[in-house]
Formats: sequence, C-alpha cells, structure tokens
Amino acid sequence: MGSLSFAMWTAAQALNVDQEALDVTSNNIANEDTPGYTREVPILQENAAITDGNITYGSGVELTQIQSVRDQVLELQIAEQNQQQSSAQAQTNSLQQVQSLFSSSTSGIGADFTAFFSSLSQLSTNPTSEPYRQAVLTAAQNLAGDFQQTESNLDTIQSGLNQTVGQTVSQINTITAQIAQLNPQVGAMQQAGQDPGALEDQEDELIQQLSQSTNVQVTQTESGVTISTGNGTPLVVGGQSYALQTAEGSSGMTDVISAQGQDITGNITGGTLGGTLQVQKQDIPSVLTQLDNLASQFGTAINNAQGKGFDENGNAGQALFSFTAGAGAASTLKVAITDPSLIAASSDGTAGSGGNIANLLAVQTAALPSGASPIDTYSNLVDQVGNLTSQAQTQVSATTTSLNQLNNQLGAISGVDIDEETTNLMNYQRAYEAAARVISTVDDLTQSVLQMGASAPSAP
Amino acid sequence: MRVNPNYTPELLNSLWNVEQQEQNDILELSTGRSVNEPSDNPAAAAADVENQAAQGQNDQYLQNTTDLEGMFQTAQSTLSSVVTALNQAISAGTEGANSGLSASNLQSLTQEVQDIQQQVVTLANTSYEGAYLFAGTVNTQPFTLGAGGVQYNGNSGTNTVPIADGSTMQSNVPGSQIFLGTTGSVMGLLQQLVTALQSGNSTSIGDATTAVSSALNYVSQESGFYSNALSQLNSNQTFLQQETVSLKTQDTSLVGVDEATAATDLSQATTAQSAALAAIAKVIPQSLLNYLQ
Repeated sequence: MGSLSFAMWTAAQALNVDQEALDVTSNNIANEDTPGYTREVPILQENAAITDGNITYGSGVELTQIQSVRDQVLELQIAEQNQQQSSAQAQTNSLQQVQSLFSSSTSGIGADFTAFFSSLSQLSTNPTSEPYRQAVLTAAQNLAGDFQQTESNLDTIQSGLNQTVGQTVSQINTITAQIAQLNPQVGAMQQAGQDPGALEDQEDELIQQLSQSTNVQVTQTESGVTISTGNGTPLVVGGQSYALQTAEGSSGMTDVISAQGQDITGNITGGTLGGTLQVQKQDIPSVLTQLDNLASQFGTAINNAQGKGFDENGNAGQALFSFTAGAGAASTLKVAITDPSLIAASSDGTAGSGGNIANLLAVQTAALPSGASPIDTYSNLVDQVGNLTSQAQTQVSATTTSLNQLNNQLGAISGVDIDEETTNLMNYQRAYEAAARVISTVDDLTQSVLQMGASAPSAP
Repeated sequence: MRVNPNYTPELLNSLWNVEQQEQNDILELSTGRSVNEPSDNPAAAAADVENQAAQGQNDQYLQNTTDLEGMFQTAQSTLSSVVTALNQAISAGTEGANSGLSASNLQSLTQEVQDIQQQVVTLANTSYEGAYLFAGTVNTQPFTLGAGGVQYNGNSGTNTVPIADGSTMQSNVPGSQIFLGTTGSVMGLLQQLVTALQSGNSTSIGDATTAVSSALNYVSQESGFYSNALSQLNSNQTFLQQETVSLKTQDTSLVGVDEATAATDLSQATTAQSAALAAIAKVIPQSLLNYLQ
C-alpha cells in the first residue's frame, strides 16, 4: 500500500533526475559555440511499477543515460567532403600563384614573342641598321630572360610546396597520435555502457581535421575507430598510431612514406596534402614540360632559320639561342651572340640583304613540332593554366556548398538550440519545483501526523 | 522540423560571397577588363594572348609602312631631282647644238653638264637612315666617278618588307636598274654630252642630247615604282588602321568589361552586402531568452 515515505522517496528521486537534466541542459548551453560539440539529451525512464494486491503504483522516474545526439553517416560524409574541399582549396592556392606568371597579355613570354618578331620585321626595312639589329638582340634577350624567370618562379613554387607537404604530414601525425590516445578511452566507456559523448566529440573533431589534411577511410570497430589512408595504409588502429614520414624524392621533391617504409605519395589524393601533391607532382611538371618544349622548339626553329642566312660580315649564320635540349630548356635559354652584326639577315652574304629575315619571321606562324606556332603554343599553355585554376576554384565552390549543406543537416541534428534548451530549462525547473512542492507537502503531512500523535490526551 | 540553430557560418559565407563579388566588380571597373587572370575565362585569356600578338604584329606592319613611306618619298624626291637635273642637261645640250655658240659659251655649257653629272652621281648615292637607296643589297657607296667614268659598286639585289599578313613590298630598286638602263648609264650619257660639247660638233651634241632625253624618260619611268608603291602603302595604311580598330574591338569583346553591367552588379552587390549585414545584426540576438523576464 502507498505511504508518505514512498511519496517522499519518489519526489526526492525526481528532484535528483531533474537536477541531472538541468546539468545536461546547462552543459549544452555552455557548449553552444564549442566546435564539434554534439548536444546531449537526458534519457528519462519511468521506474518499474510496484504492485500491491490489486493495485499497481508508479514508482517515479530515473535517468538511464545521457546521450549524445549524433549521426555517424553524416559525419563520415562531412569528412569525405572536407577531403575534397581542402584538396581543391590547396590546389587553388598554389595554382593562383602559377597563373599569376601567365596573367598578363601585355608582358611576359607572349608579349616577348611579339616584340621579338616585330624587331625582326623592323630590321627588314633596313638590314644594315645597327639600332635595329641591337633591338633584335635585346628582344631575344628579353624573351630568353622571361623564359628563365618563368621557369625559375615555377621551380620556386614547386619547391615551396615541399614545406606544405612536410607541415601537413606533421599535422597528420599529431592528429593520429591524439586519436590513438582517445580511442581506448572511448572503447572502454562504450563497453561499460556509458556515453563517451565528450570524448567522441573530440575524436570526431580530430577526424574532421585529419580529413582536411588527407584522404582517410574511417571504420568503426569494437576497439574504437580504425583510420587508414586511401590505399589502406593504417594510420590509427586501436590505441596505436602509425606516423607518416617524408623523404626527398626525385627532383628534390618531398615524398610521403608510410610507417612501413612504403612510398605512398601517389595514393594520397585528398585533403591539403593530396591537393598540394597534385599541383606539385602533376600540374606544375606538366606546365614546365610544355614551357621547356616551347623554349627548345622555338630556339631550334630560330637557330635553323639563322643557319639559312648570312651575317652582316657575309659569314654563315650561327645559332642565336643556346639551351639545353629537353627538361630545363626554358631555364637555360640564352642569347648565344652579343654582336648585332651576327644576326643572319642576309640571304646572299651581302650586308644590306634582308632576304633571310623572311625565314626568321616564318617561325612566327609556322607550326613547331608540337603542332602549333609559338604564340599559339603559348596561348594554349595560358588556357591550360587558366582551366586548371578555374576547375580547382569551381570545385572549391561546389564542395563548399555541399559541405555547408551537410553541416546544416548535422547542425539540425546535433547543434545546440538555445530556444530548445531554454524550454527544457523551464520544463526541468517546473518539474523540480513540483517535486520540491511534493516533498514540502509530504513533509507537512508527516508533521501533521506526528503532531496528531503528540497532542493526543494521556490515558486516565 | 528541427533546423540548424547555428546559422551564423552560413550568414558569414553569404556575406563573404557578396564581398568577393564586390571586389571582383571593383577590379573589373578599375582595370576595364573582365578577364584579369586566366582562370576568369581561360579561353578568352588565351584568345587575348593571340589578339595582343596580332595587334603587335599589326602595329609593326604600320611602322614598316611608315618607314617605307619615308624611304620611298626620299627616293622619289631624289629621282625627281635627277629628272630635273637631266632636263637641265638636255636644255644645255639643246643650246650647245646651236652652231652659232662661241667657244666660251660651249665651255660654260660643258661645265654646267659636268656639274649636272656630278650632281646626278651625288643623288644616286643618296642614303636614308644610313642605308644607300640605290645600292641594291650591298652597303657601300653605289656610284663612284673616276677617270674611267662612272662605276656602279652596288648589286642588283632587292629586299622585301612585310606590310600585312602574307603581303610584302619590295623596298628598293637597285641603282643598276635606274641608272644603268638599256640605253647606257645615265652618268655615261651625260659624259657623252660633255665630250660632245667639248668637241663643239653640233651633230654629236644633238645625238648626245637625244640620248640623255632617252635616259630621262627611262629614269622617269623607273621612278614610277615609287609613286605606285606610295599609293599602295597609303591604301595599306588605311587597311592596317581598320585592322587595328577591328582587333581592339575584338579584344574588348574578349576581355573588356561592360561598364554598365559591372556598375549595376557592383550596386546590387553593395545592396546585398547591406542586406546581409542587417540580417546578421537583426537575427543573431534573437532567442527565447529575449522574451523571458
């Protein structure tokens, strides 16, 4: 049967539960702006009823669990988008530096080609003019200088990315070590039936940071999360992290080595590291190769045209440009002569002949072995660099939009809503006040009962 | 349905996007170009490289045309002086052929023709910007007058100058073609007139004068090259100037900015920025707490 003490006990239990629920609400409000925080909800459950004869009494409430409201599928999707967005952002950052070398249509290699051929064209009006011959040499030197400068700048950008690779690998190692520390604690709490909410929040936040650095695969296991790179190289297994290393590879570029000693550079495709390696090992080398081919093929074509004519002294024309064929041609392109009279304008050996200028000018429009004229080849290169940068920028925009949508979805599930928490706060406050009132009432009743006993007349 | 309570990142993203748009619009208006980096429009940036090359080439064609005009005008003027000198020589010869002239008069006419001969040699050695106009493709003084008469030191070579895409113009007529005609060298014919005047033989003087007249006609005919060339250059200049306008128009359509559109975009972006700022200022402080006492 019911009793005042049972009512008192039920109300006291409710007080405790409401207090704990208020703690959860307070914690949610406190962490409203904490990055990676997942809101928690108190799981309240009605206590088992007590049966006395034909009557069943409710026995109050208990707090069974404090549960973090998370969606692991969404979190993994966000990690995936983070990898793509960070990769595209890293590519954009580097390619913007690259495209700045090809931005001007009124200076640089393109303008130098025009100036060089214009100087030759001008020389045709007076092949014996010393200033016109000097102008050809100066234009050739400007062109060679800009080829050298462009290649040097590309080399600088490329080698500068070594630092980004090193720093990113270092960040990855720091993050994986932190995850490996959290993993056993999360596993232990889960096995104990507790909610590892705060620890899981930290771990999720670290996984998102890791995803911004590189492409990873995250698998939930009994011993916590297992994290590996895209090709399956383990980074975190249980409480053990496997640090990546860096080593100098070909052409002085940094390679990424797994803890097992394997070169995994080619398998890293996502995150800042993947984007950086994409630009460093594929995009810039492609631009460099085309620049070298252009310098080499243009230099060869002009030298061949020189060879068909005669200089001002009647001698067979000698090479105007010197360069190392193949890789590095742009960086080694130089004007091989300093005497303006050595420009082979003449077609018959007489000083005033400009007959061979036509051969030199023909290089301007004739297709190089690459299949296009020098200026067409250069404009194709500008187009390619612009497209690479534009594609990376578009990808940043697209992945950012997608990431925002996913974060919105996750925020709708896991974010702390002050309005909701305030409502909860009021609910728990009212419940607490009500439970306190029950205790007060039961106390009054108990006092009445006790006084009823104390005021009873003594037996005659 | 529960919504994401933390919408400030999205508001800030919107604000940043609008501000980025504002910066782009300002850059376009300040540079007058819609393509400031290859990534803005890769195809247009590449086409702009080719357009700039074509403009540069066209500018050089114009410069070549101007250079040739200067040279041809000098050559034409020189040959005009030669024709004038030959006319004077013919007058002297015609006068000398008159049998009634005294020896001193003949001597005076002889001296006059000798001076004309020297003048023609000087004219034939005219240079322009350091290059002899009538030396062919050699860079030495083309005509020297010595005891053995006039010697041509040039050659018969000609040069060509590009004046438009696929179009070149011959830039010189060798002295051998102008002054060493089929009837003999102009200077040699003048020498014959001098010799005839010195002899006092009216018939010889008459024949020599007729020969100089033939030379005059020949030189006049040859100078026609320069008249025709100047006319052609004038037409070419007009064509090139139109081509320049066409290329610049093409360039503007490729990478130029539509100022009205850019200014409108900037205005819209500024309005959008104000709206975004107002939204952030209005929305962020609002919560249930504002209504609780």
